[in-house]
Amino acid sequence: MTNRIRAFTKFINKPERAAYLFILPAMLIITFFTLIPLAATLGISLLKMDVFLKDADFNGLRHFVRLFKDGKFWNALYNTGFFAIIEVPLQIGFSLIAAVFVSRNTRFRKFIRSTLFLPSVCSLTAIGIMWSFLLDPQTGLYPQFLTEIGLPRLEFLRDPNLAMPSIILMTVWRSFGYTMIILVAAIQNIPESYYEAAQLDGAGKVSQFFRITIPSIIPALSFCVITATIAALQVFDQIFVTTKGGPLDKTETMVTYIYSTGFGTAPYDLGYASAISVALLLVIMVVTLSMNRYFLSKESTDAH
Amino acid sequence: MIKRTIGGKALGFAVTLLLLIAVLHPFLWILISSFKFEQDLIKFPPTFFSEQYTFSSFTLVWERIPLLEFFRNTIIFAGGVMVLSVFFDSMAGYAFARIRFKGKKTLFTLILITMMVPFQVLMIPLFVEVYKLGMLDTYWGLIIPRAASAFGIFMMRSFFVALPKDLEESGRVDGLNEFRIYWSIILPLCKPAMITLGIFLLMNNWNDLIYPLMLTSSTEMRTLSAGLAMFVGQRSIEYGATLAAATLSLAPLVVIYIMAQKYFVQGVATSGLKG
Repeated sequence: MTNRIRAFTKFINKPERAAYLFILPAMLIITFFTLIPLAATLGISLLKMDVFLKDADFNGLRHFVRLFKDGKFWNALYNTGFFAIIEVPLQIGFSLIAAVFVSRNTRFRKFIRSTLFLPSVCSLTAIGIMWSFLLDPQTGLYPQFLTEIGLPRLEFLRDPNLAMPSIILMTVWRSFGYTMIILVAAIQNIPESYYEAAQLDGAGKVSQFFRITIPSIIPALSFCVITATIAALQVFDQIFVTTKGGPLDKTETMVTYIYSTGFGTAPYDLGYASAISVALLLVIMVVTLSMNRYFLSKESTDAH
Repeated sequence: MIKRTIGGKALGFAVTLLLLIAVLHPFLWILISSFKFEQDLIKFPPTFFSEQYTFSSFTLVWERIPLLEFFRNTIIFAGGVMVLSVFFDSMAGYAFARIRFKGKKTLFTLILITMMVPFQVLMIPLFVEVYKLGMLDTYWGLIIPRAASAFGIFMMRSFFVALPKDLEESGRVDGLNEFRIYWSIILPLCKPAMITLGIFLLMNNWNDLIYPLMLTSSTEMRTLSAGLAMFVGQRSIEYGATLAAATLSLAPLVVIYIMAQKYFVQGVATSGLKG
């Protein structure tokens, strides 16, 4: 026994061998629960399979043909795109405005920063519950407030035309503090001397913002835009808690559609749900890569 | 120094004040409303404040839904993931940062790539795997797939890379094996990084919805997020109890956040660095 222990100690005493032992648990988990599922998504999308995993059968590309003809899929894709195109600019815009005003390190500004980040600490489930009560047509404060200032009593989450915009506002409210933190860190890294030089040239606050602040934080800004977009394309939680894709499928998104196809409603079609996730992966990849290219070209032109 | 004009100062103050009110009023409302009587919550027209307040929602909610189980499950799931993932991530991060070995670059690139794959894309095969392992609706089924995180390895590695060069040498001279060097020389130096990562993981898993929703099926195994989402969907319990449950589910993280803000913010700021 002691011999074995000694042999083992000798074995792992070689740093190189020890390294493999160090990475082993993490690599096993990542291989088994990320890499293999990634490959399997493609595989399952070619199978006919339900949630009970009985009678899995090769189905060829039939799911993808079905996808092309599926009006609900196109509707979900459209709603997801609509959500991302409106939500991301609003979120980044608010983050940027907030970041500019609170980036300097004073006690007051630090307090504001922590407060604006607070919603990001909270679960979207609780936030969804909170907002669905606040926006409730009968008992909610917002419809009541609108009536009191003489506007029509809006139904927000129950109105097919307002449901998605309401969810967008809820999401902006929750997320802008998160990207603000990243932008604040970037703004704090800009050397003070840049601003001093600009002031000597007589540049005002606004032109300083556009000529120094924005160009200096392009890498952080592009990171925020890309991560916010990826998150927007995967929107699920707040919709699942508030509208569940309704009214009239107006808030059905790619992920809510994947979930309801695979787990939500009979026949629990995992094969078809996988085909939708492959489509989601493609959309995310195309959007991320083209944004990356755009921002990289922007960075290099700004550097010259 | 930059001169600040009075107008600029006033504008800044107005903007921050507006943002502050916009962010805080829903929290204030849910907190106050958790203490309202049911008839005041469903009355028309609704009001922000009420004439009388009560604790009854907070006592009622435990009878209406298995909130205690939800708390227990969330703590075991998010806490378990936090402990295991910080341990495995720091081990892997240490090897990637400070030991030379064959295939290091390839493996690390692979990890960086998995960081970019959205969870929703992996969701269905993951469900199938956990089902085949017979771990659906169990704690291990929730914890093991999350017991290592690509982001965590990335973050710990960046931290270890920045440590002084010859730190391990003294340990090697003393004849310690590699694990002892990692455990008793390196780890004590990286407590802040481990706390930051731990809090980041705790927050994400505590709040996660679709993952526990998919991997649990019985009411007794639901986490706070998944459990509350199910009950709200059914609208089967009182308004007051729902609000009290939501408030209670937020409380632990908010309290930790107030005590350890800088670690929350650091985790987010680090996630921005990889951009």
